[in-house]
Amino acid sequence: MASSIRKYAFINAKLRARISKLIPDTLFHQMMRVGSLEEVLAILRNTPYSIIDETYAKTGDLKLGELELLKKEVSLHIEIEKYVKGDVQRLVQALMLGYEIENLKNAVRIFFDRKIRNREGDDSHLYILRQKIVHDFSVDRIINAENIEEIVKSLENTPYTRLLSQHSEAILRDGSLFFFEVSLDHFYYGNLLETAEHMHPRDRKDSLRIIGVEIDLNNVDWIIRFRKFYDLSLEQVLGLIIPGGFQLSGELLSETYSSQGVSRIVQGIMRSHPGLSTIVNSQAADSISRLLLVERLLEQIMLFEIKRILTGYPFTIGIILSYFLLKHREMNKVKAILNAKQYHLPEEQILGIV
Amino acid sequence: MFTARMIKLFAVVLDHDTDKVTEELLREGVIQLINISRVEPEWQEKISDVTPQVSMAQIADIRKRIEGYLAPLGIHLESPKEIDLEGRKPVALEEVSRKLDRIADEIREIRERQGSVQQEILRLEDIHRQIQLFGPGLSRAALRTQYSFIDVRVGTVPMQHVKSLHDETREIPSVILQLKKDGEDQPLLILYMKRDSDRISRILDEAGWKDSELSEDVRNLKPEIAQDIEKKISELMEEQESLHRVSKTRMGEHSEELQRLWVQLRVNELFYRVQSHFKHSSRTVIFSGWLPESKRTALENNIRRVTSGRCFLEWYTPDLHKREVEKEESTPVLFKNPRFLAPFQMLVKNFGVPEYGTIDPTPFVMVTYLIMFGLMFADVGQGAVLVFLGMLGTFFFKGKKEQLRNLSQLIVWCGAVSMTTGVLFGSYFGLPWFEPVWFDFHGIISGRLQGQSVINDIFDILAITVYFGIAVIGCGLLFNWINIVLKGKWTELVFDKGGLLGGWIYFGGVYVARYMVMNGYKKLPDVSVIFWLVGLPALLLFLKTPLYFIRSKRKGAGKKFTLFTPIDFGMEWVVELLEVFAGYLSNTLSFMRVGGLGIAHASLMISFFELARMAQETSAMQVSPWSILIIIVGNVLVIGLEGLTAGIQALRLNYYEFFTKFFRGSGEVFSPVSLSSRD
Repeated sequence: MASSIRKYAFINAKLRARISKLIPDTLFHQMMRVGSLEEVLAILRNTPYSIIDETYAKTGDLKLGELELLKKEVSLHIEIEKYVKGDVQRLVQALMLGYEIENLKNAVRIFFDRKIRNREGDDSHLYILRQKIVHDFSVDRIINAENIEEIVKSLENTPYTRLLSQHSEAILRDGSLFFFEVSLDHFYYGNLLETAEHMHPRDRKDSLRIIGVEIDLNNVDWIIRFRKFYDLSLEQVLGLIIPGGFQLSGELLSETYSSQGVSRIVQGIMRSHPGLSTIVNSQAADSISRLLLVERLLEQIMLFEIKRILTGYPFTIGIILSYFLLKHREMNKVKAILNAKQYHLPEEQILGIV
Repeated sequence: MFTARMIKLFAVVLDHDTDKVTEELLREGVIQLINISRVEPEWQEKISDVTPQVSMAQIADIRKRIEGYLAPLGIHLESPKEIDLEGRKPVALEEVSRKLDRIADEIREIRERQGSVQQEILRLEDIHRQIQLFGPGLSRAALRTQYSFIDVRVGTVPMQHVKSLHDETREIPSVILQLKKDGEDQPLLILYMKRDSDRISRILDEAGWKDSELSEDVRNLKPEIAQDIEKKISELMEEQESLHRVSKTRMGEHSEELQRLWVQLRVNELFYRVQSHFKHSSRTVIFSGWLPESKRTALENNIRRVTSGRCFLEWYTPDLHKREVEKEESTPVLFKNPRFLAPFQMLVKNFGVPEYGTIDPTPFVMVTYLIMFGLMFADVGQGAVLVFLGMLGTFFFKGKKEQLRNLSQLIVWCGAVSMTTGVLFGSYFGLPWFEPVWFDFHGIISGRLQGQSVINDIFDILAITVYFGIAVIGCGLLFNWINIVLKGKWTELVFDKGGLLGGWIYFGGVYVARYMVMNGYKKLPDVSVIFWLVGLPALLLFLKTPLYFIRSKRKGAGKKFTLFTPIDFGMEWVVELLEVFAGYLSNTLSFMRVGGLGIAHASLMISFFELARMAQETSAMQVSPWSILIIIVGNVLVIGLEGLTAGIQALRLNYYEFFTKFFRGSGEVFSPVSLSSRD
């Protein structure tokens, strides 16, 4: 017990204070309701997202504001990493890989558009994060590479070089980054699960639960996308799904994909979380809507798990995990609302996106 | 000692007097309106809501929109005044919205221009970054492969077209360097983003451009190129700064009108908020609310005046409505403490709001908190520093956040009491400059007692804190009894953990403990004394559970009596006794931390002085700068760390050891609707 207090007392107190500053739902509803981008920024002025408003006021560039926010968040996570040691530090690094992988994907996509699809593209290369997150590699060398081999070389001493080498032929043959990006996600979650497995038993249990729900959410999101945009066989889908989910096994997911029914999944969720029946009572007509219903249920389960951690024993890895997940979700929500307001989308549509 | 006495108004006025009465209620700003349907459910069918003429939500949204525009200008919006209420006009929301949309469009134009300028800056920075990243020199071949986003061309242009070329490319992120002239035409190097290739090519063609080879001296022009880029970026940033100022100026031009609109909207919003609590019958309007009893006469006179006496007003005190109060709603609470108690009221409110009709502990918190702080942090010099810092804070936060101002004032109080106890214990920045008025605290800790005193050792110091704790807990019990008597809950008065039996056990236990201590821990009082002081009340406590069981049965609730029920009674009695004995013992001993922290404070100062003395001994100088530094740093550390610790521990003892004896904290703060309402 003394060791867990020593490990977590400081960082958990710090992160609990930050969690208390997360934006409440009422403020999100207010942001969705107001008429213009400037009004949303005015609301964000008294929140930790004020940097977006400050940057926008000085430069008129919303994307730059979002980039500044991302830089601030990554710096905070790097700071968190310095406060922890041992297995906790490894887990924090594993979580930070999420940002790094997202950044890598953006860089590779810019290269892909430029070199493989021969499109000069937009100015997205101006808004990419260039600072080191976990591994040291040059984003500019990736963006400006002449071929995939150059990117592989620039990623040496990182775990991504092997993944890219494995998929380089497929990228050129199929003209798509899809399978490479899926492999990056597999790597991210696999690494996270492996790091969690080596933690203290109490921390391991909490970590695996939360990471498991996150994996479930990711898998359901993919199945929705596979159903909508890709023509994949069941075997291909099974190969792509990330293992290690908490509620949804591979078998359930494959049944969902092939039969388009979600009743077994919903039944399973209801057994473990009967309080979610109010959400289930709403009707869902088509298969995509039913999958979106499952996604909503999983979101609620995630929030339930986080609430359980926040009200439980205070000296565990759960607070750190909860903060990372809640903050990431919140940032995505804020960015979605800002962009929706910039393009003058109505409130109902924004609600659907968010 | 108690919060302000409240009274409830029930009023019926004629329909056509609604607006006048609304304005009067808003002007007075003393009533917290309540929902009548909650109080009189049987009226639900006979009355209907008063519907405001415009949507309150819409008014609030537009008001917040104006606040959003004015906030970056640093304009502080004052609450509406009475004159604004008198001049109240309904606001045409559509027109105001359109006005705001026009302002937003003006600003959007500037933002779009800013966005374009920012794009140019970012592109130039990108060119700059890529040149820095990829090798020392320039070569066309290398550039083609390495500088994938930028391209470079070297060539010549007729002299008469050089200026027009510069003018045409001003808007495009690019670098044009004039090279050494060797012939009639002007040699130029141009560096640009590949995405702008078509535009650049067209401009170059129109200017009569002819490509040529990269010469050796051109390959080393990287520093000049970098300088040129930096100059362009600097110019663009100035333009950006100027646009930012223009946007603020433009908004500033509208600020007066916006402030006027804001006041109008706010008055209307508050007006309709008052009316949203009204209920309609066929020709009358009904409303109800709480107000301080001291405001009753003025409000009644004003309502009668504006309605020319055509009103029905009925007043209720909370005692008459006790049943309704307990069942339906709570009486709101208005603190009536003098201004100087504001910091301590803040401490009380942070814990909770006392129930109406119970004791407001604020004045007592002032005494207990400051005594505890003074005992833990006794030093004249360090206290003076706290007073100074607190006064700085009070000055700086004046007119700003009230909580920070109150915190600063609290620091002043803590500093003042530290100075007082510093005089009592003879501590001046840790030094014994003057004789202590009470006893030599530092002397006891350092083991250098000087003469006989009332307090001679650490145990005497700890004893002071224990007695203090007993006094505080005793106070808490007394308050609990008073609160219970006021509520008329006689069973609780006897059997509550903080009730008469609990108090009997506690003070009996204190006597027994004192007897034992006074007899060198070797003797207890007579068995009969222990029985009367502790045993009898403990036995009487057994009656609690059966009594509550019988009471709940009489009300028709509660469990059935079974064979296990007496066992339950016994178990609950044992647990209750354990809680009483262990709880009171730990509560009392908890106050020893006051002594402990005071000892720690003195010990820290002694340690720093010892270090300073050692530094002085190793120095050849008469006064070693290191020893001075150690004393200063030591004092700073002690003020920071010990000051914070003392403040937190004093708060903890108040909240946990004192408040838990009597404070329920389920009250609701009185929040009337007035022109100065925050939201």
